[in-house]
Amino acid sequence: MNFELKDKQKLVRSSVRKFSEEVLAPVAPIIDRDAEFSWDTAKELSKINAWGIQLPEKYGGADLDSISYSITIEEISRICASTGLTVTVHNSVGAYPIYKWGSEEQKEKFLPDLASGNKITGFTWTEPNAGSDASGIECLAVEDGDDFVLNGSKIFVTNGAIASVLVVGTRFKKENGEEGMTALLVEKDMEGYEIGTKEDKLGMRGNPTTSLYFNNVRVPKENVLGKISDGFKIAMQTLDVGRIGIAAQALGIAQAAYEHAVEYSKGRIQFRKPISNFQGVSFKLAEMATNIDAARLLVYRAAYLKDNRERFTKESAMCKYYASKIARKATQEALQVHGGYGYMKDLPVERYYRDVKVTEIYEGTSEIMKLIIAQQILRGNI
Amino acid sequence: MVKIFVLIKQVPDTHNLQINRASGTIIREGIENVINQDDFHALEFGLNLKEKYGGEVTALTMGPPQAESALRECLAMGVDKAIHVCDPIFAYSDTLQTTLVLKEVFDKIKDYDLIITGTKTSDSSTGQVPYQLSEALDIPLLTDIFSLDIKKNIVACHRNFGHESQNVEAELPVLLRVGRHYNEPRHISLLGIKNAFEAEIEMTDHACLNSPDCIDGNMKSPTRVTKTEKPEEMKRKKEFLKGSTSEKVQKLIEIMQGHSIEKIWIGKQHL
Ligand SMILES: Cc1cc2nc3c(=O)[nH]c(=O)nc-3n(C[C@H](O)[C@H](O)[C@H](O)COP(=O)(O)OP(=O)(O)OC[C@H]3O[C@@H](n4cnc5c(N)ncnc54)[C@H](O)[C@@H]3O)c2cc1C
Repeated sequence: MNFELKDKQKLVRSSVRKFSEEVLAPVAPIIDRDAEFSWDTAKELSKINAWGIQLPEKYGGADLDSISYSITIEEISRICASTGLTVTVHNSVGAYPIYKWGSEEQKEKFLPDLASGNKITGFTWTEPNAGSDASGIECLAVEDGDDFVLNGSKIFVTNGAIASVLVVGTRFKKENGEEGMTALLVEKDMEGYEIGTKEDKLGMRGNPTTSLYFNNVRVPKENVLGKISDGFKIAMQTLDVGRIGIAAQALGIAQAAYEHAVEYSKGRIQFRKPISNFQGVSFKLAEMATNIDAARLLVYRAAYLKDNRERFTKESAMCKYYASKIARKATQEALQVHGGYGYMKDLPVERYYRDVKVTEIYEGTSEIMKLIIAQQILRGNI
Repeated sequence: MVKIFVLIKQVPDTHNLQINRASGTIIREGIENVINQDDFHALEFGLNLKEKYGGEVTALTMGPPQAESALRECLAMGVDKAIHVCDPIFAYSDTLQTTLVLKEVFDKIKDYDLIITGTKTSDSSTGQVPYQLSEALDIPLLTDIFSLDIKKNIVACHRNFGHESQNVEAELPVLLRVGRHYNEPRHISLLGIKNAFEAEIEMTDHACLNSPDCIDGNMKSPTRVTKTEKPEEMKRKKEFLKGSTSEKVQKLIEIMQGHSIEKIWIGKQHL
């Protein structure tokens, strides 16, 4: 067992950290304040291949391993969680399923533009009546000659306002009577595709979340992803991958909060001493550091298993559950260490506190993570 | 095709540097090694020239085995090749021994047009190697340059020399020492990193040199470090200026002139 990162992974960390501190740090508070996605930043991210981190080189990706992927998301999110969200959703639940289940024609059509960041993607399953219960979706695609005619709506679509193509979960009905769930590649330019208004959110404000409406959208059959009836399986396996990215994102936010807390506590003098001299404060730092270390090991293990084994459903649910939980706690404690200053928008800790919460919600709530972990355990995957 | 060589050095990361108070030396344990900051600018300069004129950029370092990671970083940044000059007998080389090794290496390479270095390294700050190496190789040295044109075998460059801006020409091959203010090193891409770790690094050791006899870092370095001291800490001074704004400005200018600052700009007005 090896707890040291490889030299390549260390270089990923130092390079993405430098990029994030120089390029993302100035825009992070602004895109949060204005709730605006930054296309200029997207172009900068293209230069370091952040839109195709694990895609093969032949499609324009960087072909990196999953631990390097986690490190990249962690380092971006340490500076700007909104950007971390845009990037991880694009890579892990947008581009990844196209690469994994797409036909060669689909890959050639979509992946080069996605890897370069010319086009942005995402994954939309959630509907007004189907959240945690992913099997409850109502969008319906009815076979009609060479097309499926899609009707219905989606909500809470990450990258909704900026995506050119999305992996869309829907029910299908074929002319021969066959029914089931499928994943379709739906493109923004298709007629009847309508983007709803942007949600006004607590955090992750630099990432545009919208609803989507499909009014008789004709989706050609060549846009069916994988086997037509495999939609649910594709969604579940995609989320196994996506959750590692969300956990890495939580980890990055926690790390930022922790670093700020350490620095601040050493400089803030009360009762004629730096407040870090008080155990009431320093024990918070000790807890944060320990929790972050433990979460990081869980995240990297899940990433390692993804690269080396078939099954990592349990481990990816565990790392997301744990990292998001300790990250929420770390941001809360970091804010507390800052006292009243932490509550003000002049310092970034209040942003971390707002941004982090949703990591316990999207790509499956913490309750659903526990449900998955328990199911796995009780099926014998102890 | 322009053959460009960029000399780089791995140094301890000065961001978290600690000094052993008793011995006055740098504590190297637990300190990350990084590429000397100036050398990133030299690399960027080399890569820009390649993008403009075509050719090939090679990063070259003389250093211990762990300097490999610095060369990987250069490859990730976009250089085409990397050469690692490494042998236990090169250890403890001073700048002169380093120069002699580098001269030997370039005598073997033969086919070089531009050798680019940074201004100095952050660990010892002598800045001697570019001067010595240009003497040893008997090629022109151009310092403080910030832009450059190559026409056939002539380089024409702008250099900043004190308050002067000079245009200088020289015949290839030349050694260029670039400053850190004239470019902004590019960010390293993820694909660059992936490719860097698949590339071969060319190794050169003592046995590869044409005339190895004059080389022995430990025994033949004429430099002796007799003592390292921390400079006395300067006490900060403060002074509150009184009066109207223009009186305060006038007073401030007087104070600054008292510190032999020659030129003072206020807005666009040159005093
Ligand atoms: C900012 C943001 C971005 C999002 N982006 C996307 C996206 O890009 N694509 C996408 O498809 N979705 C996205 N989502 C949706 C997200 O995945 C869902 O919000 C989430 O899965 C929860 O669904 P819900 O909101 O309907 O809550 P509900 O399912 O209604 O849950 C409400 C509460 O009940 C609990 N609960 C539900 N069922 C159980 C159970 N069986 N046992 C115990 N507790 C239970 C939940 O844990 C939760 O606490 C996003 C959400 C947000 C907030």
